[in-house]
Amino acid sequence: MEKLVSGKIKRSKDRHAPEVSLQTGFPSAATHYHEASIDLHNELVYNQDATFFIRVEGNSWSKFNIRHNDVLIIDRALKLKQNRLALVVQEGEFDVIRFSENQAKSEFLLWGVVSYIIKDVL
Amino acid sequence: MIAMVDCNSFYASCEQVFRPDLWGKPVVVLSNNDGCIIAANKEAKSLAHIPMFEPVFKIKETLIKNKVTLFSSNYTLYGEMSQRVMNILSTFSPLVEVYSIDESFVELSGLEHINLKTYGKEIKDKIFRYTGLPVGVGIAPTKVLAKLANRMAKKLHKYDHVCVIETDETRIKALKSAKIGDVWGIGRQHAKLLQENKIFTAYDFAEKTPVSWVRKEMTVVGERLWRELRGESCIEFTTVPEPKKGIGTAKSFGKRLEDLNMIEEACAYYVSEVSEVLRAQKSCASYIQVFVHTNYHSKFDRQYSQSCTVTLTIPTNNTFLLVTEAKKALYKIYKEGFRYKKVGVNLSGIIPQEYIQGNLFEEPPKISNPALMKIFDSINNKYGKSTLASATTGSRKEEWELIKKQRSPRYTTQWQELLKICSPQNTGKAF
Repeated sequence: MEKLVSGKIKRSKDRHAPEVSLQTGFPSAATHYHEASIDLHNELVYNQDATFFIRVEGNSWSKFNIRHNDVLIIDRALKLKQNRLALVVQEGEFDVIRFSENQAKSEFLLWGVVSYIIKDVL
Repeated sequence: MIAMVDCNSFYASCEQVFRPDLWGKPVVVLSNNDGCIIAANKEAKSLAHIPMFEPVFKIKETLIKNKVTLFSSNYTLYGEMSQRVMNILSTFSPLVEVYSIDESFVELSGLEHINLKTYGKEIKDKIFRYTGLPVGVGIAPTKVLAKLANRMAKKLHKYDHVCVIETDETRIKALKSAKIGDVWGIGRQHAKLLQENKIFTAYDFAEKTPVSWVRKEMTVVGERLWRELRGESCIEFTTVPEPKKGIGTAKSFGKRLEDLNMIEEACAYYVSEVSEVLRAQKSCASYIQVFVHTNYHSKFDRQYSQSCTVTLTIPTNNTFLLVTEAKKALYKIYKEGFRYKKVGVNLSGIIPQEYIQGNLFEEPPKISNPALMKIFDSINNKYGKSTLASATTGSRKEEWELIKKQRSPRYTTQWQELLKICSPQNTGKAF
């Protein structure tokens, strides 16, 4: 489902109930400040139902800082704008391009817009 | 108004989303054991007459000659893609009824003031943009008419995959164009009966046939269809699926099996699958049936098939108890010297778990503790199917499991199976 940005404030499930602290000794000063831990999926995925993860093989897109074994987060809901990276299809094959508005759009079919590049640097 | 949204050749379309090299090309999806064709896209259908549920070997040559791409079914992928579509639909209406993996009814009442054709097009475009799946949309005052509109949206080019039946004029036109057998809910028997009575189109049925006749010959079910076709909504939205009355599973082995132990392992595996379904819907089974059979299509194998049903002393959903009972049944029907193709398990007499009657003369077995099953399910949920299993299940699954030769990667659910892309001009690896 699409993430609702406005509206109700979501309550975290992990929140300590104020009266029932898990600590048995001194009451925690953090009791009323507990928040859920960061969940990368929530941060990096804008439109869950339109998002696909795709792995890159080879270094042919190194000019976009995309290298072998990187994972692209592709969001099909995002608009193709000037300078955005896009996964496109040309003659039945995938390609990654940087979009520029002067380009004739008929040259390719848009598959999705690249929103993040995940790199394993170990 | 109600919209019926369905995905065009859903299984094949799911495969094509990730395979642009196959766009516009014929694609066919095979059943679980790769034996039968269960889906074909329009390109494949236009090449040759492809009968659904036919063994694939019968038309294999035609398929190869026409360069049709075959896929084993990848239900993990189809299920996930289907969920995306349902989620998107729920942004268009608070009431969505998921009718099947690729069809949904969307309640649009209160939206009569807007242009429904435009709204339908928005639905279609959003689903395609988000998921890459093409859909057809039929909008009408009732479910049966919406289904009819959906059919027209697909068949007739001019509608561009969105068809709205709004006025009585369009309704009559739609009814006249629909053969009676194509109306949703009219089965083969009824279609025959109606044709014998010179009722050939939906129009003949809904506008020319008196309701008294319909009620007499086709009961209230027929009357409901009759009313729905006349624009009177009678079929309610159901959003909670009915609990299943019978649960079963049977899949062909990857190769023919003769060894009882191996069949027993497969049988136990199926029992654990169905008992999981039982627990998920919070019910218990009163009977368990086990059956085995050899390959009907084989000309040289000796044929044998047999089944055995066991009545459980106390209805249960406990994997271990069910495995034990299934084993007893299997031992009864198994005969040496045959090459078995399939073992199957059916659970029936399914009742909600809170209505279980104890047995006056027997203590419930110790292992039937529901807490055990609860932890069992939660571990399997977290660490993957069959992390915990009855020991009878064994560890030789690869040896009996069905072959999935051409299954595509589980692109959307497995990090190890993501779609891989590499540039066509330069495929050089980093190291």
